[in-house]
Amino acid sequence: MDKSDAVNVQTENVPVIDLNLTINENPVKVQVEPTARLVDILRDELQLTGTKISCGIGRCGACSVMIDGQLVNACLTMAYQADQTSITTIEGVSRDQEMDPIQKAFLEEGGFQCGYCTPGMVMAVKVLLEEVPVPTEEDIKMALSGNLCRCTGYGGIIRAVQRMAAENSEVR
Amino acid sequence: MQQMKASEKRNRKRPDGPDKVTGRLNYLTDLHFPHMLYGKIKRSAYPHARILSIHTEEAEQLPGVRAVVTFKDVPGLNAFGIVTPDQPVLCEDTVRYVGDAVAAVAADTKEMAEHACSLIAIEYEPLPVVDDPAEALGAATPKLHPDGNLLHKAHFYKGDVDDAFHKCTEIVEETYQVPRQMHTYMETEGGVIVPEPDDTLTVYVGTQHGYKDRFQLSRILNMPEEKIRIVSSPMGGSFGGKDELNIQPYGALLALASGRPVKIHQTRQESVISGLKRHPMRITMKTGVAADGKIIAHKVDILADTGAYSTLGPAILEFAVEHSTGPYVIPNVKTEGVSVFTNNGVAGEFRGFGGNQVTFALEGQMDRLAYRLDVDPLEFRRHNLRETDEIGPIGQRIASTDGAYQVLQSIKEHRQLKIKEENEMPDKWKVRGIGTAITMHGGGLGYGRLDPAGGRLCLKESGKIEAAFGFEEAGQGILGVIETIVTEELGCSVSDLSVVIGDTSLVPSSGSTTASRGTSMVWHALQKMKEPFCKLLIEKGEALTGVEGHRLQTGKGGLVVTAHDGEEIPIITYEELAQQSTEEEMTTSTNFDFPTTPDPIDSGHFLYTFGAVLAQVEVDLLTGKVKVIDLDQAIAAGPVVNYLGYKGQIEGGGVMSLGYTLLEDALMSEGEYMTQNLDAYLIPGIGDVPFTMKVEAIETLPEDDPYGPRGVGEIGSVAVAPAIAKAIQEAVGYWVRRLPVSSEEVLAEVSKRRINPWTKAMQ
Repeated sequence: MDKSDAVNVQTENVPVIDLNLTINENPVKVQVEPTARLVDILRDELQLTGTKISCGIGRCGACSVMIDGQLVNACLTMAYQADQTSITTIEGVSRDQEMDPIQKAFLEEGGFQCGYCTPGMVMAVKVLLEEVPVPTEEDIKMALSGNLCRCTGYGGIIRAVQRMAAENSEVR
Repeated sequence: MQQMKASEKRNRKRPDGPDKVTGRLNYLTDLHFPHMLYGKIKRSAYPHARILSIHTEEAEQLPGVRAVVTFKDVPGLNAFGIVTPDQPVLCEDTVRYVGDAVAAVAADTKEMAEHACSLIAIEYEPLPVVDDPAEALGAATPKLHPDGNLLHKAHFYKGDVDDAFHKCTEIVEETYQVPRQMHTYMETEGGVIVPEPDDTLTVYVGTQHGYKDRFQLSRILNMPEEKIRIVSSPMGGSFGGKDELNIQPYGALLALASGRPVKIHQTRQESVISGLKRHPMRITMKTGVAADGKIIAHKVDILADTGAYSTLGPAILEFAVEHSTGPYVIPNVKTEGVSVFTNNGVAGEFRGFGGNQVTFALEGQMDRLAYRLDVDPLEFRRHNLRETDEIGPIGQRIASTDGAYQVLQSIKEHRQLKIKEENEMPDKWKVRGIGTAITMHGGGLGYGRLDPAGGRLCLKESGKIEAAFGFEEAGQGILGVIETIVTEELGCSVSDLSVVIGDTSLVPSSGSTTASRGTSMVWHALQKMKEPFCKLLIEKGEALTGVEGHRLQTGKGGLVVTAHDGEEIPIITYEELAQQSTEEEMTTSTNFDFPTTPDPIDSGHFLYTFGAVLAQVEVDLLTGKVKVIDLDQAIAAGPVVNYLGYKGQIEGGGVMSLGYTLLEDALMSEGEYMTQNLDAYLIPGIGDVPFTMKVEAIETLPEDDPYGPRGVGEIGSVAVAPAIAKAIQEAVGYWVRRLPVSSEEVLAEVSKRRINPWTKAMQ
């Protein structure tokens, strides 16, 4: 990031910490307030705007990212908690323009409309399928219960996950 | 297994899809500009108060603060509103709801802007709060606006209801109450407003009508419209909620005052407090049936709580009045609607536009009457249903349509199958019920309202065919619709096409992206532009290649000649055509109006879509909790343009209304929101919805119908609540009259009727 364009966040007497992160397999260093929210660090400091912000209180899952393999709401994660962790955001899911099969399934089954919940939803599905490659209806409902979508009514999302489950069960 | 319909194969992957599923898409709230400031809006501390003084000095002196604006800084009209500008941009002397803005700040960081807002000292004299719409028109009630608290009255009279009720053998009278639903678009309001070096202003903020925002901002900023550019797409959802101005005026004032780009992105809490909601209504219906089972009298009284300002309140009330008889033929009707000002937020445009409220009441009446008459509820509807060429609901002629019968028949067959399904109950504490409802819904803005549309096709120098429309992508899929219709009508391929929308500097005016009109208007525009545009290209192609024009046609990659075996033989590519022509770009544009009824009846619609819903619920006898396990819909809206998008609109609209029926209400107490975020305002999660939903698209239109595909943005949300309500009644006998459904009331009914397994055991 071009630091000359960065917003000046210095306020008197506010301590800052050096944060060492691995984001999408790249080492990243940022200086921020210890209580800065991870979602703001990603979106404002690092311009990784694929991670969205909607409720800000951990209810909607739009800001879902993976921290050390676990699904986490970035709006509830403070800078000091993220220090020394490895974070995967939506930008890290599709490598070199090649979509993840989950993303293809969302695309082909109508698993999105406005797309604002989609990055978080894809992250949640990714974590689900890594843990349970062939999820049941109950598994899907449980795993995605923290991610709200206002457009699709979840129909297309469910079809996308079911398609992944079918593909995974064939592979096995 | 049923054969797949042709339309189901028209299953386009959305052009905006790859960027959405990978997170690459830049929403307007994701934008970042060099030297950008962050804006915050200071909103009222009271739902109703007089402002005695505003002191901004301390905030202005805070380091990092670059601009503070109040009413004194509004150069033009200090008011907005799509039809009647009665909402102050920045309040001067009075605040009328908790979302009223009094000041705004731009600073180097969000935190500084927020801190500066807290340093703005506003002295208020609280005034009595008008929070009960039933008392809004009382003589002793404080007047919120100079002309009092009546926003609008609307009525429809036909025949003589009083006389007709005397001839009825069965009459049902009931009062229905519906809640203040929040749009809950996942992307809250926001964007960036950029002052340009040439003294123009670029507004990167989502809206459903870029040109209307430009007009409103021009009036507020006292700046010529040509100097304002609105980039209004894409949006992370809108559902009607972003059609009216929201943060644009504040961002614009701050950008002009500071000379720097200003970003405002409301928090969810700010969005709840300031954003529009669906009109809460109290609807009383008295409906009577004669001995032959025909409804002969229908009396309707609607009271709508419009909140503090007008926005589209009058049009929504008129829509509710028009749709209060639904698809039924009733000879004697007396419908009266009143919409009143209160200090309860601001209600405005929301998917369904007043139709959802009255349909809940009307279909509730139909089910109650059928129950009293002991006839099948769908058979009772059929007996009173409109015919193909029946006059419209407020006496206007409408486009010939069989939709009402088609959806009714479809849902009836579906219900028969559902009833036959083996239902193994998960446990003895749960009971199930099935309910159905139907509706008709007008598209476009209605007679007497400016409802222009338009579009433009142009062969660019690059060889791309540019299709430009003044619509916005809010998730509904207009980009996929444009791509489908243009490639099919012109015969070109997707790679020949570039679609441009949502930017007043690049697109013609197409009217608003509302009222289920987008798909319909794109199709109409292509019918008008196809021939002249192809003619331009073919004449040029003939001149350049010498191939006779009557043999040439637009095809994939360029102009082609079709061989005897049907194969397209390429003659000249679009790129060659564009680059070898010496004159200007080949352009065709069109302007026209949404089709309206020939009869001068204000607000009357002409093109209607029809929907029928089947809901199956499971009621928990121990908790009164209702779970929807089936939500299937039959829709008649003409040909399907993109099946994936169509299904998504119906499923999504259905689930949004499932929330309306069972979960959602932006509760207010004395003008203050009781629910301020998604922890208390609950929208359906994945666990609340049926795992599969069936959408039956009925595409047949009457022969010679010239109007093409109708929009389906709203229809899937309209008749869901009454179907769920009837399913609950089937399960436990409880007649729902108030939404969202109260588990306590369901439980009370269960106890009263002694249908608990334990009370049964005691009997």
